[in-house]
Amino acid sequence: MAISPIYAVRETAQNLWRNVLLTAATVITIGVSLWLFGGFFLFNYAVGNATARWEGGIEFVVWMNPDASPAQDAAIRTTLDESPEIRDWTYVDQDQAYEEFKVLFADTPELIAAVPAEKLPPSYRVVPTDPNADVVRELSNQFKGRPGVRSVVSADETIRAIQTQADKIGIVFFTGSVILLGAATLLILTNIVSAIKSRSEEIEIMKVVGATNWFIRIPFMIEGLTQAVMGALGAWGGLWALDRWVIRGFNDTNSLALLDGFQVTSSEFMQTSLMVLGISVLVSVIGSAVAVTRYLDA
Amino acid sequence: MIKLENVTKVYKGDVVALRDATIDIAKGEFVFLVGASGSGKSTFIKLLNREEIPETGTIYMAGKDIGSLGSWKVPYLRRNIGYIFQDFKLLRKKTVYENVAFALEVIGKPRQVIRKQVPAILELVGLSSKVENFPDQLSGGEQQRVSIARAFVNRPLILLADEPTGNLDPQTSVGIMRLLDRINRTGTTVVMATHDRGIVDTMRRRVIELDRGVIVRDQARGVYE
Repeated sequence: MAISPIYAVRETAQNLWRNVLLTAATVITIGVSLWLFGGFFLFNYAVGNATARWEGGIEFVVWMNPDASPAQDAAIRTTLDESPEIRDWTYVDQDQAYEEFKVLFADTPELIAAVPAEKLPPSYRVVPTDPNADVVRELSNQFKGRPGVRSVVSADETIRAIQTQADKIGIVFFTGSVILLGAATLLILTNIVSAIKSRSEEIEIMKVVGATNWFIRIPFMIEGLTQAVMGALGAWGGLWALDRWVIRGFNDTNSLALLDGFQVTSSEFMQTSLMVLGISVLVSVIGSAVAVTRYLDA
Repeated sequence: MIKLENVTKVYKGDVVALRDATIDIAKGEFVFLVGASGSGKSTFIKLLNREEIPETGTIYMAGKDIGSLGSWKVPYLRRNIGYIFQDFKLLRKKTVYENVAFALEVIGKPRQVIRKQVPAILELVGLSSKVENFPDQLSGGEQQRVSIARAFVNRPLILLADEPTGNLDPQTSVGIMRLLDRINRTGTTVVMATHDRGIVDTMRRRVIELDRGVIVRDQARGVYE
């Protein structure tokens, strides 16, 4: 039996309004928990983007001039191969650098169009045998000022500290959001149970006159879904603000050159938004399903 | 229309509410269920509405064993059964019209059907002038008429009434019984549990008497005792 949309909307609105304070508390809790959850992913993406070149134990990068001669290039390679303190190195040519550049600046196509691949410097990414900061500094100094070398940048302790702190903050965000999502699920359940109890006489009449179980359940389930989606919309707004004013702020101020590339791409933001929406639906389905099966069908 | 074969219902604590009941009620009959409090009248009615399921025995409605119905089919069974409560169970925040329309709305009837059937049934029960009133603005008798309108608006084959005059004065009760009699004359089977000796003795319809869950009397055109 089809449920009239007007009936479903009217009953859902009445249920939400009947417990408006509890509804507000539920929506806020869902919003905050999903914001924390989404924030965890946005920060992870941003930190990942900013420190991508330092993944895999890479401790310093030797940037070459784009017009360095083959002999200058070969001299650097020889030093890298012969040094017992270097475990491994990778050469990133101009084409590969351009691919990285395109990913990093996907949100600013005008910049990508303005910078041709041949303008980007190739580089050597070096993994030393000992990641100790003093050893790395000494090793990287060997390459500074050599013919064909543009600059040498090392992943000093700051980068490593940022990665470590970001991991710790991420765990706190993630744990907090999971706990709050659990609380939000219980709040949805409580809200629906409260609506069921306040409408017990109406429900009794509905059962007596032959309303199907689904007809009775649906307004309560939509109620849970509405709360969760409202929370998700609030969280989405919060994530947009986080991206616009906090994450991009790291780049805009340019005061933390070490965090160059600390940003979230459009597709990463979209993925996070969809995940937040999906989790809100999941939370509402769990909360309302438990409520209607335990308190409505009994 | 209604057939019970050796039906026994036992509640928790081994309380036997109905014991080995066998009865046959034809289409269009008016049946009074009488007996002292706790004799099993309400259980009898709840079994017919599939609110309760018997421990043993079989209940047939229009030839179908309602005990074997899947739970998803029970609402469809109940659309053929009207139910009248002693305490009316009207929704306080809905008007007379809305209370009756509610019974059609929740079984998915289209709005145009509701607009046609509700005024017709309210006219039948004599409440055409009170459609916008709320239950608290009505007398007990009027509230019971709304309850009857709600039970009958979907034109069920069977009307179950659990002491419908229990909260009413004798004069108002007579009006309610006239209305139920009128509904019965349309071919609807009526099963009514009651303590009201005057009504039973006046109407002289079939009487089934229960005593501690056992049918002790089944009398055509019977009296209370």
